[in-house]
Amino acid sequence: MKPIIEIKDVSFAYSKQQDVLKNVNLTIQKGEWITILGHNGSGKSTLSKLLIGLLKAKTGTIHVDGIELNEDSVYDIRKKIGIVFQNPDNQFVGVTVRDDIAFGLENLQIPREEMIERIDKFSKKVDMFEYLNKEPQQLSGGQKQRVAIAGILAMKTDVIIFDESTSMLDPKGRKKILEYMKQLNDEGTTIITITHDMKEAVSSDRVVVLKHGEILKVDTSTNILRDKTTLEQSNLELLLPLELLHYMDSNNVDHQSLKDFLWASSLNV
Amino acid sequence: MKNIVIGRYVPGKGFLYDLDPRTKLIALLVLMAATFIIDELIHMAAAILLIGVILVIGRISVKRVYLGLRPLLFLLIFTFAFQILFNTQGDLLFETPLYYSPITLGLVVVIVLIWGFTKRFIKFKLLYFLATVFLSLFVLNTFTEPLVFATGTFSIYEDALEMALFIMLRLIIIVTLSTILTITTKPTDLNLGLESVLKPLKVIRVNTEEIAMIISIALRYIPTLLDEANKIMLAQASRGVDFQEGKLKEKVMQIVSLLVPMFIISFKRSDELANAMEARSFIPGHPRTRLHLLTWKTLDTVVLVVSLTLLISSISIRVFL
Ligand SMILES: Nc1ncnc2c1ncn2[C@@H]1O[C@H](COP(=O)(O)OP(=O)(O)O)[C@@H](O)[C@H]1O
Ligand SMILES: [Mg+2]
Repeated sequence: MKPIIEIKDVSFAYSKQQDVLKNVNLTIQKGEWITILGHNGSGKSTLSKLLIGLLKAKTGTIHVDGIELNEDSVYDIRKKIGIVFQNPDNQFVGVTVRDDIAFGLENLQIPREEMIERIDKFSKKVDMFEYLNKEPQQLSGGQKQRVAIAGILAMKTDVIIFDESTSMLDPKGRKKILEYMKQLNDEGTTIITITHDMKEAVSSDRVVVLKHGEILKVDTSTNILRDKTTLEQSNLELLLPLELLHYMDSNNVDHQSLKDFLWASSLNV
Repeated sequence: MKNIVIGRYVPGKGFLYDLDPRTKLIALLVLMAATFIIDELIHMAAAILLIGVILVIGRISVKRVYLGLRPLLFLLIFTFAFQILFNTQGDLLFETPLYYSPITLGLVVVIVLIWGFTKRFIKFKLLYFLATVFLSLFVLNTFTEPLVFATGTFSIYEDALEMALFIMLRLIIIVTLSTILTITTKPTDLNLGLESVLKPLKVIRVNTEEIAMIISIALRYIPTLLDEANKIMLAQASRGVDFQEGKLKEKVMQIVSLLVPMFIISFKRSDELANAMEARSFIPGHPRTRLHLLTWKTLDTVVLVVSLTLLISSISIRVFL
C-alpha cells in the first residue's frame, strides 16, 4: 500500500495563545477509510482545512500523494482532496443542482461536453439525476449533501473528507450518506470521516481519536470501542449500550449473552 | 415574507422563454429608456398597449405581474396624493370649499379613529385608507353654519394630475417589464446574460466575471436568507417582539432585533461558503469553462431591432415634434 496523506509534526494555532493542533502525526493509506473522532473543538475541522491548504500549518509538513503541500502545490493538491462540509446550505454554490455539480468542473476548466457527461453520471450515482433542475430550496438537507458528494465525485478526487456531513441530517438522510461512503470506499476512494458520533466510526478501517488538538490513539474501530480508558479520556459522549458494556467489563458482571447483545447494538449503525 | 419571492422564474413556454437573456436585458434597458423619453399621454397609452400585447403573446399571467406591482401600490398612491396636494401648475380642474367647524373637525377625528381601530380587520387596506380620506373631505365640504370658524379650498390642477399619471404609468411599465424578464429567465441564464452584457465594462478594468459570480451567489442565497429572516422573526415573536404593530421606536427595535442575528449568521455563512468554494478549486479571477452556452437566434435580432426602433422613434418624436 502507498500512503496518500502523510502528516508530520503538524501544529497550528489561530492565535498566539493556544495551539489548536499539537504535533499531529498521521499517515493515511490509499483506499483506506479512516475516522477522525473527537469532541467539539478538538481540532478536527482545523485539520481538514490544513489538508487542503485553506489554513497553513505553523510547523510540520503535509504530503499528499507524494507532493509536499505549499503555496505552489496547493491548487494541485485541492484537485486530489474533496471535502463535504457540515452545513448543506453553506456549500451549495449553484442556483440549481446541475449548476452546483458543474461549479467545481468549471473551476477545473473541464470542457463542456465532458462536464455534461460527468454531471449525468455522478448525479445518477447519488440518485439525484431526476433533481438536476431543482433549486436548493426544493431539496432536503440529505439531498443537498448528496449533491455536494456528486460535485466532488465529478471532480474525481482521490480522497473525500466528510466533515460532520451527516450531523445536520435526519436519521434517514444520514443512513443514505453512510451507504454512499461505504460504496465509494469499496470502489477505491480514500475516505476520511470526521465526526463526534461514535456510531459513524464503526465501518471505517481505523479510528483516530483527537483530544484538544492531540492524537490520543489510533486503532481499529472495534479496538477503540472496547478501549474504556481512551474513550473516557476523549471527552466523547458514549452511547448507552457501550457504557453498559464497559460497566459490566470493569465490574466483572458476567453475562455473556447480554454482553454480546450490547456489543452488537453498539456496532449497529 | 413569501411575497418577496415574487418575480421568481416560473417555468413555461412562449417566445419570451425562447429569447436569449442578453436580448431580454438589452431590450429591457432600451424600452425603459423609451418610457422616460416619451411625454405625451397618447404615446404612453401606446406603450401600455404594447406591454399588454407582449403579455398576451408571451402568455404571461397578469396576476403574477400584479403581484409584482402590489408592493408599489403605496408608492403610487403617495406620489398621487403628493402631486394633487402640492402641485398647483397648469389649469384648475376642480375646486371645492372646505369648512372647518367643531362639528366637521370632530367628525373627521371620529372617522380617523374608526379607521385606526378597524384597519387591521380590512383586507384592502389602501382602498380603505383612500375611502377614509375621501369621506373626510366630504365631511369637511359640508357647510355647518354658524359654527364655521375658517374656510379653505381643495383643488386639483391639470399638471398635478398629468404628472401623477406619468409617474404612475412609468413605474408600472418598468416594474412590469422587469417582472417579465425575471419570470421568464432562469437565474442561471440571467446571470450569464448579465455577465455578457456587462463585458464592455472590462475596458475600464471592471472584473465582470467576479460581478457575475457575486450576483449569482446573491440570487442563490436570497431565498435562504429570507427563510432565515422568517425563522428569526418567529423566534423573536415567541419572545414577545411584535413585528406587525408598534410606534416608530418599537419598529426600529424590531428591525434591529432582526438585523443583528441576520448579520452574524450571514458572516458565518459567507465564511463557510468561501471555504467550500475554494475547496472546490475556485480561484478568484482565474479562467473557468462554462456549462451553459447562450445561443443567439433570429428572433433575438428581430426583438432587438424592434426595441431599438421604438427608442429611436421616441427620441425623434421628442426632438422633432
Ligand atoms: N476561525 C477561527 N478562529 C479562531 N479560533 C477558531 C477558529 N475556528 C476554530 N477555532 C477554535 O479552534 C478549536 C478547534 O476548532 P475546530 O477545528 O473547528 O474543532 P472541531 O471541528 O473538532 O469541532 C476550537 O477551540 C475553536 O474554538
Ligand atoms: Mg468541526
